[in-house]
Amino acid sequence: MAEISTIARPYAVAAYKLGKEQKALAKWSEMLGFATAVANNAQMQAYIQDPKVVSSDLQAAFLKVCGEKLNENAQNLIKVLVEYGRLSILPAITSAFEELKAQDEGVLDAQIIAAAKISDKEVKDLVKRLETKFGKKITASVTVDPEIIGGIKIVVGDTVIDASVKGQLQNLAYALTA
Amino acid sequence: MQLSTSEISELIKSRLENFSTSAEARTQGTVISVTDGIVRIHGLSNVMAGEMIEFPGNTFGLALNLERDSVGAVVLGDYEHITEGDICKCTGRILEVPVGPELIGRVVNALGQPIDGKGPVNAKLTDKIEKVAPGVIARKSVSQPVQTGLKSVDSMVPVGRGQRELIIGDRQTGKTAVAVDAIINQKGQNMTCIYVAIGQKASTIANVVRKLEENGAMAYTIVVAAAASDSAALQFLAPYAGCTMGEYFRDRGEDALIVYDDLTKQAIAYRQISLLLRRPPGREAYPGDVFYIHSRLLERAARVNEEYVEKFTEGKVKGKTGSLTALPVIETAAGDVSAFVPTNVISITDGQIFLETDLFNAGIRPAINAGISVSRVGGAAQTKVIKKLGGGVRLALAQYRELAAFAQFASDLDEATRKQLDRGRMFTELMKQAQYAPLSVSNMAITLFAANKGYFDDVPTNKVLAFENKLHGFISSKYKAVAEAIETSKDLSADNEKALEAAIKDFKATTAY
Repeated sequence: MAEISTIARPYAVAAYKLGKEQKALAKWSEMLGFATAVANNAQMQAYIQDPKVVSSDLQAAFLKVCGEKLNENAQNLIKVLVEYGRLSILPAITSAFEELKAQDEGVLDAQIIAAAKISDKEVKDLVKRLETKFGKKITASVTVDPEIIGGIKIVVGDTVIDASVKGQLQNLAYALTA
Repeated sequence: MQLSTSEISELIKSRLENFSTSAEARTQGTVISVTDGIVRIHGLSNVMAGEMIEFPGNTFGLALNLERDSVGAVVLGDYEHITEGDICKCTGRILEVPVGPELIGRVVNALGQPIDGKGPVNAKLTDKIEKVAPGVIARKSVSQPVQTGLKSVDSMVPVGRGQRELIIGDRQTGKTAVAVDAIINQKGQNMTCIYVAIGQKASTIANVVRKLEENGAMAYTIVVAAAASDSAALQFLAPYAGCTMGEYFRDRGEDALIVYDDLTKQAIAYRQISLLLRRPPGREAYPGDVFYIHSRLLERAARVNEEYVEKFTEGKVKGKTGSLTALPVIETAAGDVSAFVPTNVISITDGQIFLETDLFNAGIRPAINAGISVSRVGGAAQTKVIKKLGGGVRLALAQYRELAAFAQFASDLDEATRKQLDRGRMFTELMKQAQYAPLSVSNMAITLFAANKGYFDDVPTNKVLAFENKLHGFISSKYKAVAEAIETSKDLSADNEKALEAAIKDFKATTAY
């Protein structure tokens, strides 16, 4: 994964810079998302990985499937990827692109994992507190996971704020056995 | 089921009381790959170099490589249960080991956990294993001796408290024997000893521990063991862990002696880690910073001044200097001292004790090569009496070597040359010493005095050691006062010199050897 993200970075940066110049970041995001969905299709996956397929055929087939959804620049990106045999890293390029876009917009994704369903008001309150903590806009997605027994767990990028009962029990176990 | 002492209800109660349940914010990452104890992690964007990383199952790792998209970490201990996709967390801490007098008499691993089956080490303090060595201002020059109890070492290559003296030689030349004898001789010398075994067979370590126990040396010794079967990470860390345990005593105005047996294995363990982390290999496939791993370790062996100790202990210990003396061991291959690691460590240390296979096989044990063994700072620390009497030994042996090479061709030698040869032969014989039999300062002084005054000259070469042994016994029974005077004053006054001469004459006249 680390190596793939290293390879994907220059492509993502190139797409991001071009999108920014053209003031079409949202459009790029949409196009990359669509192309990734195409690339993730099982049949397409098999086709991409088939060593017998000639690259010109692959390029033509991929662009045909995408059709009108991709503009000229995005089609060029696909062509470059096919030429260098890097079509398989398209999902990594998309996620790196989304990261760059979020950074530019000052938005952070937060995953809120709760033991029981939490009200919208509570989520709003949490988001507000997270926004002051991180100094950025937070887009929260809430999931319910009874596994954590009680409390909540918040994942923002690499940072994890663990206020779950499960995490505390684990810490207690370490404290007692260490 | 065995009940451990940590399971006392009061202890558990206090732990439950002090346990805080606040939410913790930590950086986490995902394991990408696990290979040969090296884990690559995606994420962990705020990790520090050398930080501990927590894996599932209460396992810890050490972050060594911080790359753009991943972190390379080495797992301390077992890594078989870590799988791809596992979540790991930053701890914000540098690796620490327990320190303090509670460790004395124990055998611990590189993390300070006991492995001798004597229950937990109830150390009150822990300390970081990687610390910066004391600076120039905090230091004091070496001026007190470390008595190794070996005639050849104490007279020719004296070691001072705070010195770093390398023990170097091929396999099977008695390197460990010299180090262990030095530890055994520290009984009653106010010295805490630390023996760090790196990459040795577990049976060898067990033998050393048994010998230390038999000689009563475990009462003031800590053994840090990273056996050959332990992971390379532990073998790499063991010297630093031992050094931290030694620094505890140094910083509190006490004296400590640490033996690293041996640093070649540590370098090999580090080479393994580095290559697996894909760091570029250099000479002999060692990474670029192999010099630094040894220099930063040995730089921590030092003598610190009174002000440093006072400042460190916040005024509790006043007017005392502290020291950590290091005896690193290096194994050479076929006497090749120009290999990478030996040259590095020779250049770092304050002198070396050179052991040779040829001498060992010729029965000269300890097999010290007097010509190339040196102590760069120990002379200032040598005991007065040994300094006074031992000066001639080096010279006699040097002249002997020169003449011996020349005398092989000459059939007819003049009287003076023959005498010098005989004297050299006698000194060579006299420098032999049995293992686990270190000599006190007074006995060493008696031997050197008798040799200098020529009382050994009419003793047949094969009887020299027997003569010496009986002389020690004779003086300790009949002329105890003289021996005690030398032992306490560490000097030879004019009166004692006369008394000693009379005693030796008496011995030669009355005793058969």
